[in-house]
Amino acid sequence: MLTSIIKRDGRVVIYDRNKIKMAILKAMEASGSTDFDKADQVTEAVESHFNNQNMKNTPTVEEIQDQVEHELMASGLDNVAKRYILYRASRNTIRERKSKLVKVFDEITFSDALDSDVKRENANIDGDTPMGAMLKYGSESAKDYFLKFLLSPDQAEAHREGYIHIHDFDFYALTMTCCQIDLIKLFKGGFSTGHGFLREPNDIQSYSALACIAIQSNQNDQHGGQSIVNFDYALADGVRKTYKKLYLKNIAKVCDVLGEKVSYDQLKEISAAITEKCGAMPKITPDETYVALELEELKKLVKDPAVAEKAQQFALTRTEEETDKATYQAMEAFIHNLNTMHSRAGAQTPFSSINYGMDTSDEGRMVMKNVMLATDAGLGHGETPIFPIQIFRVKEGINYNPGERNYDLFQLAIKVSAKRLFPNFSFQDAPYNLKYYNPDDVRTEIGYMGCRTRVVANTYDPNNEITYGRGNLSFTSINLPRLAIEAKGDEDLFYRNLKKYIDLCVKQLMDRFAIQKKKRVRNFPFLMGQGVWIDSDKLDIDDEVGEVIKHGTLSVGFIGLAETLTALYGKHHGESEEAQKKGLEIIGFMRRILDEYSERYKLNFSLLATPAEGLSGRFVRIDKKRFGEIKGVTDKEYYTNSFHIPVAYEISAYDKINLEAPYHALTNAGHITYVELDGDVSQNLEAFEAVVRCMKEAGIGYGAINHPVDRDPVCGYNGIIGDVCPRCGRRDCEGVPLEKLQRLGLYKHLNAATLGQCGNQLEEADRIPNRI
Amino acid sequence: MTYNPETKMVGEGVKFERIRRITGYLVGTVDRFNDGKRAEERDRVKHTPVGQ
Repeated sequence: MLTSIIKRDGRVVIYDRNKIKMAILKAMEASGSTDFDKADQVTEAVESHFNNQNMKNTPTVEEIQDQVEHELMASGLDNVAKRYILYRASRNTIRERKSKLVKVFDEITFSDALDSDVKRENANIDGDTPMGAMLKYGSESAKDYFLKFLLSPDQAEAHREGYIHIHDFDFYALTMTCCQIDLIKLFKGGFSTGHGFLREPNDIQSYSALACIAIQSNQNDQHGGQSIVNFDYALADGVRKTYKKLYLKNIAKVCDVLGEKVSYDQLKEISAAITEKCGAMPKITPDETYVALELEELKKLVKDPAVAEKAQQFALTRTEEETDKATYQAMEAFIHNLNTMHSRAGAQTPFSSINYGMDTSDEGRMVMKNVMLATDAGLGHGETPIFPIQIFRVKEGINYNPGERNYDLFQLAIKVSAKRLFPNFSFQDAPYNLKYYNPDDVRTEIGYMGCRTRVVANTYDPNNEITYGRGNLSFTSINLPRLAIEAKGDEDLFYRNLKKYIDLCVKQLMDRFAIQKKKRVRNFPFLMGQGVWIDSDKLDIDDEVGEVIKHGTLSVGFIGLAETLTALYGKHHGESEEAQKKGLEIIGFMRRILDEYSERYKLNFSLLATPAEGLSGRFVRIDKKRFGEIKGVTDKEYYTNSFHIPVAYEISAYDKINLEAPYHALTNAGHITYVELDGDVSQNLEAFEAVVRCMKEAGIGYGAINHPVDRDPVCGYNGIIGDVCPRCGRRDCEGVPLEKLQRLGLYKHLNAATLGQCGNQLEEADRIPNRI
Repeated sequence: MTYNPETKMVGEGVKFERIRRITGYLVGTVDRFNDGKRAEERDRVKHTPVGQ
């Protein structure tokens, strides 16, 4: 006798025939059937089926539902059966989803980041901290919700099955990616962070502090990184103000020492009046008219005219050095702050980048020199700063050749990068960057986000083909290797499917854009409220941002060109010229379609060599499961980044650069080329420079050189560490005898009693001498 | 810093920091890389310098 059933979670409950009957009635209703009497008959048939069986085991819900399906068909109620099956399937999906989300939550709650890939999706968020985990719960549930309720079914399926990947999906309906911040515009007249108003900064110290705050505030309004597009030009203003202040103070001091009563405020007034008259002010390279007029005025203030001359002379000779020192300290603070400050509920250090290189003013040069020197020195214990990404703009006529004004800074950039991995190099002379450059408008200098994103062309507003105040809105990547595997050597089929998925991505980007457009200025209190984004200063707090965000880009990206070529033609572009030709055809095809979409919609669709952090493993994991291990395609744990030559392929730097450069021209939404150098490149700057010059000549847009940068926290050694630390001789995780460290001149004030488990200040200070 | 009073050893269990670049950003330790990126970093080979 059917008296009880087993539920999905294993619980045994009393059998209730009404549940079966109700489900059948609902299916009848949905299918338009009015044969309600049959509901009872089918229910009875199901019951008798189980009663006739030898009831050793209690039936499960699934078994009962199977039987209902069977009886509906047997009774000729085919349409009702169909509805019943569909309903059952949709309930199953929802249930499965729920449990998947719960599993993810379990992982966030109970696993260490070391064991959990979910918690290491983004290497700069510490998933083990409370705020990092909280961010992860939110992120995972948002993804679940957006996938179920906001995406169209075809987009959801393509994303879920790994044909496409919608990046920053947890922020799908919330915000846009990134922005190149123009600090000059932001600082003018002061700004508000939403928690208080900050006056226009008045010296280099406050310029550097507010630059950090700007990055931090904007990071909370967007999901991607934040970049300062004009670090040199903007911070130079702070240097000018500091110079002037110190200059006038120096005059006041000398007067004071020599017995004259001249106050700083008096001097400020005189200086302002002269500036009013001749337009000049005190600066590193003195303005003769200013100096002469100032001397006249000074003489009027003092009893002894010789004092005026001495005081001015002192200020003219000493102020530059003092300003230089103040600038160094400000740059040091800037870097320290960006490596320690937090955004997003404290879970993440802001992803920050700064662009510089082409300001030839004394002040701009002072900023660049010192930010690089501070990077060279490293953080408190000599650690390599992780943030900000620094991008040095290389430009012929300004810094590329000996004799050019900023050539010394280019040389310094090479030296610092050979030690600290930053700055990276962007190339203004690459034809597709040079095209937009107008020497009379700094806003046309190329800007890269550290990760590689690039925005400059503007189909929406051709009068604003600039980098300032713009950025990417969102991007979606295509799983190129998948399309290649599925094409089974059929080139036409590959291209047909590629077209299909580009169209799908464009549609999805448009759908997301429709959501973004409806947001209002108040949703982005800093980005839009403070006029950081181009044209947002023309909007009111309740206005929609739809028009102004059209200056941004909608990008389609890709991963694994190397694996794609191998799957289609048997070789990747590092191995065969033919494959390189085919690779350029594929990427050129993608670019052409996106250009057409830009024209059609008057929006900025662009092609991205996707950065792909989380994605590198995701696609290949799915594809390996589907297609098994295919040599050169799915046989690694990752797909090769964008158009890169596979990382494990032996190739010269020269060949790699020249093979990758043509793809930079095609990927207008951003690109980067890496070269890996061995050994201590800081001892071989010529080799380092040769690579940078090779990149420039080949037409690379943005490049960086990787080399080993290791540090032993125990003895503080910085450099290359193989298996054994060259200073203290320990291996990874091994201990070193305290006595040995003391023989090396380390830990000299420490003994067993004072050496704490963590954070002993004496001990920390003791490690500083190691910064040699 | 860890110190083991019995063996008088400093730094047991402390890993070397290996700064590496992924996607354009630096990361202070490979431990924070996801599985895919960790494998990629492991596979990277050096390139012959320009002019050699």
